[in-house]
Amino acid sequence: MAEAIQKKLKAEVDKYTQMQKDVSKSVSARQKLETQLAENNIVKEELDLLDTKNTVYKLIGPVLVKQDLDEAKATVTKRLEYINGEIQRYETLLKDLEKKSDQHRELLSGLQQEFQKAQGMAVGKV
Amino acid sequence: MAEKGKMSNEHLGGVVRLREEQEKVVKDCEIRIQHWKKVSGDYEALNDRLKTLPDQLSYDITVPFGPLAFMPGKLVHTNEVTALLGDNWFAKCSTKQAQKIVDHRMKYVKSEMDDLSKTMKNFEARVGLTKDLENISSGKGDYIDIREDSRNIEAAVTKGRKRIAHKPNSKPKLDAILDLKEEEEDEEEEEEEEEEIKVEGGDTERRIGTITEEELWARLDELEKLEQQQDDQDRLSDNGDMNGDMNGEESSSSSEEEKEADAAPPVNGQSVKPSWTSAPHSKKPPCKDSIAEEDDEEEEGHGLPTISFSHTMEPKKVRINTGKNTMLKFSERKEQHSKKKKKNGLNNGHHELHKITTPVDIYRLFVDVKNGEPIPRKSILKSRSRENSVCSDTSESSAADFDERRMIGRSFSHDDTTHSDTSDGLTEEDSPTAVPLQPASRFEAFSGTVVEKDPMPTAVPHLTLAPPALPTIMERKQEEVASEVAPPQEAPKRVSKFKAARLQQK
Repeated sequence: MAEAIQKKLKAEVDKYTQMQKDVSKSVSARQKLETQLAENNIVKEELDLLDTKNTVYKLIGPVLVKQDLDEAKATVTKRLEYINGEIQRYETLLKDLEKKSDQHRELLSGLQQEFQKAQGMAVGKV
Repeated sequence: MAEKGKMSNEHLGGVVRLREEQEKVVKDCEIRIQHWKKVSGDYEALNDRLKTLPDQLSYDITVPFGPLAFMPGKLVHTNEVTALLGDNWFAKCSTKQAQKIVDHRMKYVKSEMDDLSKTMKNFEARVGLTKDLENISSGKGDYIDIREDSRNIEAAVTKGRKRIAHKPNSKPKLDAILDLKEEEEDEEEEEEEEEEIKVEGGDTERRIGTITEEELWARLDELEKLEQQQDDQDRLSDNGDMNGDMNGEESSSSSEEEKEADAAPPVNGQSVKPSWTSAPHSKKPPCKDSIAEEDDEEEEGHGLPTISFSHTMEPKKVRINTGKNTMLKFSERKEQHSKKKKKNGLNNGHHELHKITTPVDIYRLFVDVKNGEPIPRKSILKSRSRENSVCSDTSESSAADFDERRMIGRSFSHDDTTHSDTSDGLTEEDSPTAVPLQPASRFEAFSGTVVEKDPMPTAVPHLTLAPPALPTIMERKQEEVASEVAPPQEAPKRVSKFKAARLQQK
């Protein structure tokens, strides 16, 4: 009885830790996105400071590739959109994960109690 | 006290940790502010350079060539800068534009620094608060933290468990309760707990209510066992006493009726010998009833067929702690027992003896007659025992009536008996509470004079558990009634007296 519960408990704990890992992973990914967003925002603003006569380059690998300013602006805007989308996605993901982990935590505590109960019973029966 | 200290320490630990974390945040903020300050310094320097750069057409400079070497060079295109905008975007721009970019960056840096300093201030305030909290909880400050812990509840739980575990005679059947408490606590409470149990039968019951059902059952089983032991003892002594007076029935009685068997001896002994009724209990309650024994001795002196009922004071002590509900249940049973006994004693002389073939029959006799209808005895608290003992009106009951009552009472009493098995260990003590309010019963049995000293006397001593059988339960009693410890030794003597008397009669 107690062993079965223990096994189950262990499995659930493993799942839970996995979930926690996922959560932390997505959190860090989100943070990265956040910094990227800030950077791109700066780039966009600074691109606005330039005028059409300025040449804009994009560093791709080892080379600087010349880009049109408008094109660069569009690219940056697109990039910003993408980042924003990503952030939103991660946000929902995080919420989901949190909910799941909360549920899981409850389940775990219930299991733990059960386990302790079983253990206590086992001890009492001996 | 030690616990308290520990708990507060734990609490303190939590506070300290909170403070540490907050301080960490503050430190982190500081570091980042430092970083941004450096960045902004760099930008300022850059800005200065950019300002002055276009002043000349060209500059003679030493160009770093690898990490080790420098070589002389010339800086031309002084108004032409390639700026890294971020995210690998570069822009070729004039120094003027570069300065704009730098200004823009400086703004950003400044906002970052502002945010950070705000956060830092926030957390510094929190650190202060936490420090205050720490002071408070450690009792150093001017404030006192009012805290209630759940220790008592847990204690109750552990108590229940422990109690069971500690009964030497019982195998602990269950133990669904987790041992959440520290061991020391358990040990602490264990002692008082045991004492409590010993004295307060009802109280334990009540407490059990808060515990698991399993435990309750275990407890009941135990009590049953104890009771059985006691019964066995009683029977032995009775048998010895009566010398096979009419004890054949007793042996035949089923286990369920064992209790009745105890009560039965009086019935079986037809002669209303004065000392006789009391004799059984004088033997049985070695631990309890020094008083009863004294009474007995007095009785012995009397030549009259007198049954005197004595009661012990001890039960009262117990009763104080007893839960009302449980008490009721038990007292009823008890009452019946006592009634039974008395009636038996009374009835036998006259009639119905033939009808009472087994102890169970006696049990069934106890019914109330209301409006000519036999009604099983329900009231617990109302004891008719006094009236019964007076024996004034018992004659009114006809044999037929009696039979009827018996029939009806049968089912009822059956239930009772089954229930009572479990409870008796605890209940005897309650008997004093029963107030004799009931009209006299109609079973007339006894022509002699009954001197009643107390309403419920016989039952109490009779049912009392014998100490040797129940070490755990009786411990406290023994302590309390140290003076009464003597009885066990006395009892045998007296028994022998009775025996001798009976032998003489024979």
